[in-house]
Amino acid sequence: MYRKFLRLTKSLTVSLEKVLNLVTTSEHNPLYFHGAIPLYLFWLHIFTGILLWMYYIPTLERAWSSVNYISALPTPGLPISPEGGIPYGAVIRGIHRWGAAALMIATLLHMLRVYFTDRHRSWRWLPWVSGVALLICVLFLGLSGYLLVWDNRAYFLVVASQHFLEAVPGVGGALSAFLVGGTGITDYTLTRFLFFHIGLACFMFWLVWMHFIRLKEPVATPSRATNFLLMGFILIAAGTFPAINITRELLAKYGADPRIAAQAAYIASDAPAHIGSLVETIRYDAWYMFPFWLIQNLGVGWAWIILGGATALLCVAPFYPKDRRANIAEVVEAKCTGCTFCSLDCPFEAITMVDRAPGSKFKQIAVVQAARCSECGICVGACPFQAIELPELHSKTIEADLLALLKEKGA
Amino acid sequence: MPEQSAPKRQIIGFVCERALPLERMLDEHKALLEDPDTRIVVVPCSGFVKPTQMELALANGADATFVCGCAIGDCHYRTGNLMIRERLEGKRNPKLRKTTDRRKVGMFFVTMKDKAPFLEALAAFRAGLEPRPEPAGEE
Repeated sequence: MYRKFLRLTKSLTVSLEKVLNLVTTSEHNPLYFHGAIPLYLFWLHIFTGILLWMYYIPTLERAWSSVNYISALPTPGLPISPEGGIPYGAVIRGIHRWGAAALMIATLLHMLRVYFTDRHRSWRWLPWVSGVALLICVLFLGLSGYLLVWDNRAYFLVVASQHFLEAVPGVGGALSAFLVGGTGITDYTLTRFLFFHIGLACFMFWLVWMHFIRLKEPVATPSRATNFLLMGFILIAAGTFPAINITRELLAKYGADPRIAAQAAYIASDAPAHIGSLVETIRYDAWYMFPFWLIQNLGVGWAWIILGGATALLCVAPFYPKDRRANIAEVVEAKCTGCTFCSLDCPFEAITMVDRAPGSKFKQIAVVQAARCSECGICVGACPFQAIELPELHSKTIEADLLALLKEKGA
Repeated sequence: MPEQSAPKRQIIGFVCERALPLERMLDEHKALLEDPDTRIVVVPCSGFVKPTQMELALANGADATFVCGCAIGDCHYRTGNLMIRERLEGKRNPKLRKTTDRRKVGMFFVTMKDKAPFLEALAAFRAGLEPRPEPAGEE
């Protein structure tokens, strides 16, 4: 039943990709770079994040105004012109903001595509599980980014997060104190959020390495056409709706302008936060704030159950259903010359070369790590000496079948 | 008078089991329903194919041989189609022998939904082959 479901999802995915292939050809189909696109967007965040970091001041008094300073210069078409500001700061912040939405969407599409084409199971468990960890990191990265602005919404999110953590039996209080850096919200809280935001991004590099460690030559760069297209979309979004802060005064003055109204309705940050003055509700960003929507609408308990259950299901997905695994590549010791062709071509890094005993005819021998072997037989195609074979599909059998087909036809 | 048909050929194709819906395309002799001159060896991945196996087919009477794998960028095993392409183009070891007639070696990379485009490409490949020499003594 489940296998049938996976076959159906694969068929639907291939149909969708076929339509796109008609336009882009398979060499440039963005769906064939689904893993490279989130990485590209991640790099975009690193570069724009460094630029924003140069002006950010992580204190309760100055955080909002420092972010506001970055994006306060007038942007073509937007009638905001407070004093100060960084040239194109609002656009850089806009790229960081719109890129965040694109990063979450691209990560989810990558995950769905891998799942729908049944490329997440068995020997692929490490890329999948590290991918789940990366998804969670992207979620926290986005959330911590929202907190750094330190507007009304950020304050609301921090208080809701404290409630969420305090619900954990036994250690809830400690977790809440760990989040804000003490018993209450202080300047240390924002320093900590900045550390979470940047520290998490650094940690993600390690996770990306784990994600790639069992993949030979992972596709880490989208095609040039995809790069330009993606960057174009983000620049248009960031140029049309740059990220700015909107206060009540600003709304009173410019609220009639439809673009300011659109900014206020979606992308702009809120007025600065004041400790003790908590807003009743916030605008939820669907991509990053759905956990808070769950907390507010279903309660802390259900939020824990839903989020924890979803994470657990994602983590066990690669281990079910189990395959037969009877065709794992085997090395014929007497024939292996240690040429390394199989090891170089194995797409899942399942073959390592080890030294033979001193005095042996050949220096090295290939060794297959069974848990990593996909049974694809690419190593068999790579071996000129018939020294590595799939037990249930020997290359001699293939050659005998081939000759039989020719004989049968020629007869 | 019998209708003139396309000249008989012996074509051997190595086809990845994930590239085409083979269960609906082959008869009991492993011949393509739409082109009975073409016999198919089913492989788990196009990267499984050795260039020497294609040379073996040509040396034993096949007029042509080809490999068919998943669309470039979408190999189920990530790189199988790229590997065989590079091997046949002489860019990766083990390479196709330089003395092999390249015109008799084809490559097709398709998705599971590309049966018709595959058959069209195969027909074009077949049409591009040199005419088969008539056996001596035959009209």
